[in-house]
Amino acid sequence: MIQITDIYKSFIVKDKKTRSKMKIEAVKGISLTVKPGEIYGLLGPNGAGKSTTLRMIAGLMQPDAGSIEVCGINSQREPERARATIGYLSTDISIYNRFTPRELLKLFGEFQGVEANVAERRGIHLLERLHMAEFADVKMEGFSGGQKQKVSIARALLHDPKVVIFDEPTTGLDVLTAKTVLDLLKIMKSEGRTVIVSTHVMPMVESTCDRIGIIFEGALHGDASPREVLDRWGVKTLDEVFFQLVADKERGVA
Amino acid sequence: MRGALLIVKKEFMELSKDRKTMFFTFVMPLILYPLIFSMMGKLGQNDEAQRVAKPSRVWLVDPSGLVAPVLGADGKTIQVVPKPEGDVKQAIRDQKLELAVEVDPKAAEKLARHETWTVKAVYDRSDDSSRLALDRVKKAMAAQDKIWVGERLQAIKASADLAVPTKVETEDAGGVGRAIGKALGSFLPYLLMIMMYSGAMQPGIYCTAGEKERGTLLSLLTTSIPRSQIIIGKLLYVFSIGIIVAVINLLSMSFSMSRLIAGEAAHAAQGAAAHPAMADLAALASPAVLGLSFLLIIPLGLFFANFIILGGIQARNTVEAGTALMPGVFVVVFLGVFSMAPGIEKMAFLPYVPVLNVSLAIRKLFSQQANYWEYAVALGMTIGLAALMTWVSTRMLNRESAIFKV
Ligand SMILES: Nc1ncnc2c1ncn2[C@@H]1O[C@H](COP(=O)(O)OP(=O)(O)O)[C@@H](O)[C@H]1O
Ligand SMILES: [Mg+2]
Repeated sequence: MIQITDIYKSFIVKDKKTRSKMKIEAVKGISLTVKPGEIYGLLGPNGAGKSTTLRMIAGLMQPDAGSIEVCGINSQREPERARATIGYLSTDISIYNRFTPRELLKLFGEFQGVEANVAERRGIHLLERLHMAEFADVKMEGFSGGQKQKVSIARALLHDPKVVIFDEPTTGLDVLTAKTVLDLLKIMKSEGRTVIVSTHVMPMVESTCDRIGIIFEGALHGDASPREVLDRWGVKTLDEVFFQLVADKERGVA
Repeated sequence: MRGALLIVKKEFMELSKDRKTMFFTFVMPLILYPLIFSMMGKLGQNDEAQRVAKPSRVWLVDPSGLVAPVLGADGKTIQVVPKPEGDVKQAIRDQKLELAVEVDPKAAEKLARHETWTVKAVYDRSDDSSRLALDRVKKAMAAQDKIWVGERLQAIKASADLAVPTKVETEDAGGVGRAIGKALGSFLPYLLMIMMYSGAMQPGIYCTAGEKERGTLLSLLTTSIPRSQIIIGKLLYVFSIGIIVAVINLLSMSFSMSRLIAGEAAHAAQGAAAHPAMADLAALASPAVLGLSFLLIIPLGLFFANFIILGGIQARNTVEAGTALMPGVFVVVFLGVFSMAPGIEKMAFLPYVPVLNVSLAIRKLFSQQANYWEYAVALGMTIGLAALMTWVSTRMLNRESAIFKV
């Protein structure tokens, strides 16, 4: 269960040329709830605020205002306990190249306080599901992007997290690997986990997500099933929703 | 603490997969000292031995014929050579001969009249062989002077002691060992600091800015290990590397030193006079001196580790981290050069200047002048400084902006 209430986040950045400080409002008052056994899709163009939102849920960043609860744990007050229930994956995260998948999973099992034999069993199980078992003892330096991403997924799910947060898990993957990842998300859902996933690739969402929220410039538009969202805007594809949002904005500015 | 130790374990596991860094950090110093010491020993011996074995080439202008027999007396130490071509001074600088000696043309008459006559020698002060030649000529002349004075005294029936009212006898209280100790003590702390800092810098950058650059840091932050533990873990790791490097350096150094001592002892046993310095030198490599030096190095290592971690994690990438930490090397070099400067131990404020007082204390330990108050001040101050730095770095690195720098 994820419960977000009216969160805000801004960054202060320095302009290199003018040397003046700028405030970027990355997230402007987002509220949403994701229930167990549900896959929530967070959609939006680059820079919309998806990653910032997911990082705050994962307890990697603190919101300026608002509250976040994960499995009933306040992630601002008890970030470590909250993180123990979360499996987080993001395109910003790379793998420790010098290790083999087995070594890496053993290490992260220890980090997460999972018993050694349990971690070993779960690690192998996850690698099998991701068609990576045969590479368990190969040094990861030579792995392809897709192979690394799959090991990252195993790393994120090793401690049996109740909440799964995947930030653009299919970006840069070939269609076959992307399908493996999406299938895994569905398995997570069937196991009763709470899943939230972000993407800027629309078709993937329609087949996988139970509910979607569209983020545009830090604000959430629509929070419904993909079907309902299409109906509300009166369009055929989710891409068209974006074009409309941009058009609305330009009209507002003009 | 469990989390921090797990981070230490992970860092060492990663390091162990990097053969090159392992070699340069841990194996190099192991080979370096025996190499330096044995090379220095051999070079020094050979050079010295060769110089002493060879007779000095001297061009002699002696119309009176008084000096020629004196210099040529033994033929082993001084060899009279013909006039070199061109300028004599240039010939000496070019090492075609070691010395030019010009005797007063009226030497014979002056000797008979009991007057002082001059023997003028041209030498090159910057050249060891030339200085040796001058010494040899001076010695030979002094011996001849004694004979002539003796003859004159005898002629007037006076005692031979008439011309020798006093005689100064000297004895070196410090001993050669202490002199070597002082020399070693002044560059040892410097070497240790440089080794410790530069040895810990690479792994330090790798596990901070490097993790950011490679995008792996975030995966650590998603685990349930608290952030402060991650930072302390990395700090402990960099600190351990520094300490391991220091220990390896100290051990390798004392091993090479005791080898040198043993070699000298064997040399002495074969014949020649036993070197009185060796007992003193052995005391230098004593467990007490090494132990006390090491104790001082520990908080200094923690201080360095904090500095490295701080610079490493504030940087966006390894290049930036390198740029931030490189000046540290210069600072250490500067401190080292300062601590090697002669006479600094007399500066009254020095024992109260952090970091510098560490090199001073080690320097004094090695020259057997240990001052326990100064040692305690240095130790206490460095511990305090290291603790303060640890507090600052854990606080600063807990900030989001340090982790998500864009
Ligand atoms: N650590 C940061 N410092 C400064 N600005 C940031 C930081 N993280 C994100 N931003 C800015 O916040 C906005 C939202 O970014 P992000 O959440 O990454 O978008 P998305 O994931 O939807 O592409 C962007 O304008 C981005 O430049
Ligand atoms: Mg993003």
